[in-house]
Amino acid sequence: MIIAKIRSLLWADFFLYSLVDPRLLYRQIGKNDPRPFLLSFTVPAISTISGILALSLLGKQTSFFFTKITYGWILLFIWESFKIVILAALMDMACQFQGSRGNIREMVSLLNFSLFPQAFILPTSMIFSIINFAPVFMFVLFSLVLFVWSAWIAVIGISEMHSIQAGRTVLIFIFPYLFISVVFFFMGLLSLISLVSYITT
Amino acid sequence: MDRNRKILISILAMLVLTAVIAIVHVSLTIQEEKSFSLSVNVPQFGPGVGIARVEGPIGFSVDKSPFSMARGSEDLINRLDDLEKDSNIKAVVLRINSPGGTVAATQEIYQKIWKLRKKNIVVVASMGEVAASGGYYIASACNHIIANQGTLTGSIGVIAASPNLKGLLDRFGIKMNVIKSGKFKDSMAFHREMRDDERELIQQLIDISYEKFIKDIALGRNMNESDIRPVADGRVMTGETAMKYKLIDGIGTFEDAVDRARQLAELPASSPVYDEMKTPLEQLLFSVNGMFRGNGLIQNGLSMDDYYRLEYRLLP
Repeated sequence: MIIAKIRSLLWADFFLYSLVDPRLLYRQIGKNDPRPFLLSFTVPAISTISGILALSLLGKQTSFFFTKITYGWILLFIWESFKIVILAALMDMACQFQGSRGNIREMVSLLNFSLFPQAFILPTSMIFSIINFAPVFMFVLFSLVLFVWSAWIAVIGISEMHSIQAGRTVLIFIFPYLFISVVFFFMGLLSLISLVSYITT
Repeated sequence: MDRNRKILISILAMLVLTAVIAIVHVSLTIQEEKSFSLSVNVPQFGPGVGIARVEGPIGFSVDKSPFSMARGSEDLINRLDDLEKDSNIKAVVLRINSPGGTVAATQEIYQKIWKLRKKNIVVVASMGEVAASGGYYIASACNHIIANQGTLTGSIGVIAASPNLKGLLDRFGIKMNVIKSGKFKDSMAFHREMRDDERELIQQLIDISYEKFIKDIALGRNMNESDIRPVADGRVMTGETAMKYKLIDGIGTFEDAVDRARQLAELPASSPVYDEMKTPLEQLLFSVNGMFRGNGLIQNGLSMDDYYRLEYRLLP
């Protein structure tokens, strides 16, 4: 059954649409055939391993690499998945504030697939690392470019999901980042005040 | 559609291939590393050398703040006391980096070192940047003195100084109301000229302290007073010059002092060193504290506390 589904290559449509048309990606997620939820978590796994390998190519190679690529990868994958779930929850909440129907399961799948372009950080970094042309700068530059690409996929996908304009979807996409930044800013500020107060009294 | 899927599969295969190449590349270019070992502070035990430090001006009182490891003479004596009570301590290295300080505080430390010596604990002085005046006084009580070639030492003498602000006060029309029980009660007051009888009285105090200084050095160094007096005129000298006048026993570093302490106490070369400061943060705080203590204009010149302070101290 599973082998038959793999052979059908239907699963490849999610990856394909995430690169070529995010609207089709959401429609494919909405069809729920094959089920995208668990499959979508392969994308954070791929993007994190790409990130680790790309960074390893830039730095000094030590035997710590083997730890990074095994335990470090698992750790980053868990962190990335956790981050996606939190972001999806906050974006879903923002959608509901705007009167849309909540659908966190599809939101998680969409955000996971939106990370797929970030897997390309490895080949791009490798090229500039081999020709030794500003590899660190190019890594940073392509990281930003790929992040913007991922954000675009998410924004278009959410727009399709709730049939809302792309402009408002951008606000929905930014909302979790702003919310978390404000919360952490005040937490940091209050911690600093408490620490200074503790030291001085 | 099948064609697009095949292209996508090719892209995924390319990603996997890139990852494999990257892993192989990194694995092949892993550099030879130095053997990695975790640095763990294992408790030391067994007979060894204790370290005590004299940093900055010597005095009883110190300004304590949350960001400094304040050290007064009493703190140092407490440290020496701890070392004395510790049955593992067979020798002590006293690291001195001080321009001297108040007479009484210096003498207390001197006496404490003698107490250690009488208990057959070898005390070796290691002079740092400066070990002058009171700093040298303390060192003279030790069994052995080691200084760097460029250490500033000597400055054997006593000093008492107070500012004369009479001209300044007159200029601004400021007058002091002084009610006193005796004519010497406000000797060294900053608001008037010093009288001759007051100068004579202070000079007597200075002379008494100076004689005590010479006697204690002679006792500690096992020298004749007559050998010390020619160089005990307040002159500052380097470690090398001090060696020439036999004011110290050798030229060397802190490590040399520790080794010498081990030799004198007949300890093995691998015997542990019990330092009071273990972390770099503690060392930083200690040095910062010594840097800022006692060098301010107010403390040196105008503070009321300083009028009757006699010091074995090198003043810049």
